[in-house]
Amino acid sequence: MHVFVKQVPDISTLEYDPSTLAPRLEKATPRLGESDLVALEAALRIKESWGGEVVVLSAGDGLNELVLREALAMGADRCFYVSDPILSRADAWVTANILSRLSKKAGGADLLLCGEASSDSGNYQLGPRLSEAMGIPCITHAVSVELDGKVVRVRRSLEDRTEILESEAPLIITASLELASPRLPSLLMIKAASKKPMTRVDISELGLEKDLLEPLVERLSVRVLKTARRNIVLDGGPLECAERLVESLVREGVLRA
Amino acid sequence: MMTVLILAGELDELLELRTVADQIGAQDVEALVPDALVDGDTLSSLGLKRVYLLEGFEETPPEELVKIVIDLVKKRGHGLVVGPSKKIYRELFARTAQNLSSPCLTDCTSLESVEGSLVAERPFLGGGYVERLAIKRLPALLTIQLMGRRPQTREKGSLEMVRLGRLSTEDLRLRRVAVEKVERRGADLAKARVVVSVGRGFKRREDLKMAEDLAQLLGAELACSRPIASDLGWMPEEKHVGLSGKWISPQLYIAIGISGQVQHMVGVRNSRIIVAVNNDTSAPIHREADYSVPLDLYQFIPALIKVLRERGARVA
Repeated sequence: MHVFVKQVPDISTLEYDPSTLAPRLEKATPRLGESDLVALEAALRIKESWGGEVVVLSAGDGLNELVLREALAMGADRCFYVSDPILSRADAWVTANILSRLSKKAGGADLLLCGEASSDSGNYQLGPRLSEAMGIPCITHAVSVELDGKVVRVRRSLEDRTEILESEAPLIITASLELASPRLPSLLMIKAASKKPMTRVDISELGLEKDLLEPLVERLSVRVLKTARRNIVLDGGPLECAERLVESLVREGVLRA
Repeated sequence: MMTVLILAGELDELLELRTVADQIGAQDVEALVPDALVDGDTLSSLGLKRVYLLEGFEETPPEELVKIVIDLVKKRGHGLVVGPSKKIYRELFARTAQNLSSPCLTDCTSLESVEGSLVAERPFLGGGYVERLAIKRLPALLTIQLMGRRPQTREKGSLEMVRLGRLSTEDLRLRRVAVEKVERRGADLAKARVVVSVGRGFKRREDLKMAEDLAQLLGAELACSRPIASDLGWMPEEKHVGLSGKWISPQLYIAIGISGQVQHMVGVRNSRIIVAVNNDTSAPIHREADYSVPLDLYQFIPALIKVLRERGARVA
């Protein structure tokens, strides 16, 4: 199994520069994406129930090995990664091109898992793009995955329906946040992870043609969204509060009494 | 001159996406819709040149729809393809884009033409930020976050209808063994004037009855945060408000037992008034509310219902 993980800034501790409104990404704590960890947890459970090897793949600019080791501490066996400045400008197209080649370089897999969307860009594109690039079918938004002999059975959740789909390997699956709760590695597992193999792959080893590395989208700016709210705290007991709220909403013109 | 292809499964989606084509001054606008959507009157007053009616649109999986979209885009030379920000369209557009070596942007909140090139904005870093992106190659495929935009009315024009037959599902690598439709309840959240929304502060599914009573009293629609729909399955996913769900802009949004993570708030930011009911005073929702009620919802909601009843309060 191959699991794709992305190093992202921890959004809960992210701050912005009040003069430019831009996020201070350089000061943010790096971590692995939320739904990537869910995909990894799903792969680890498959490994525990049905066997197999879990290989973690990642690409980014300035990747931190310590962050990637968290995936190994959770129970992944090996890691292949590309760390290159080219990825700081990468869009979904470039990322998919690099990761599809990295997956091949790492020996291919029967099951390929990734999060449904990254925690920072939230593009929802990696799984479907890998599917087209690699010619492997993909099931998005999985909320459960089970193996039945050679058949992989996936339940996916869409806005207006849920579907159960079956396929044989090879198959790409994108994990919905509800697929699994990522485990917290124990101290013992963290220690064991320091001995697991990590391979840094140079981007030139992937044999990507120039146009596959040329982003089709350019980020012009990022700014924080601020909405001014009045922050009026209603105090008193439940009935008192309810009276005040209704009065306020009548005054605002949204209620009539 | 830019030609645009709109994909939509419902009339409301088509109407809103039509406004996006106007924003960039597109002249030639075509649409691909389910054949069940034939409403000649409305379609012909949208200023569309041509509408493709696809039999079995709803049931056709993205990996099959890709072939139709690629075929149309190649034949007609569309510079831009737009669709609603829903899971199926995000997947369809990402696939089509990879296949055409094209850019794809999901969940766009705005699109404009700046000195001849397209510039889009979309949520970034969980929805607390906006990124502004220049599109460097066409055709581009964009899913648009629906927010209740309405197109200008136009004179009826001539409209060409092209019927496309059902596709044979020749890709047998994926088998659909079961499909459960989620029953639709209530009106469209995007159009609601008042929305009552529930979160993890509710301890049991039965307790949602309180919120339902409140919503009924106010003539409001009921919505929820992501865990209520996805983790707990207490409400259908189409009622989930937030980054990956519905984006709404009611006059009044009453969030009950919702902590107010950035991923939730991005979906309600355009509400005129936000009321937060949460006894956790450190919950982020209190910082983004107009009125904060720092009380136990189990005590406050019955009190609010009582006061509303006594005063005969209604939505204005």
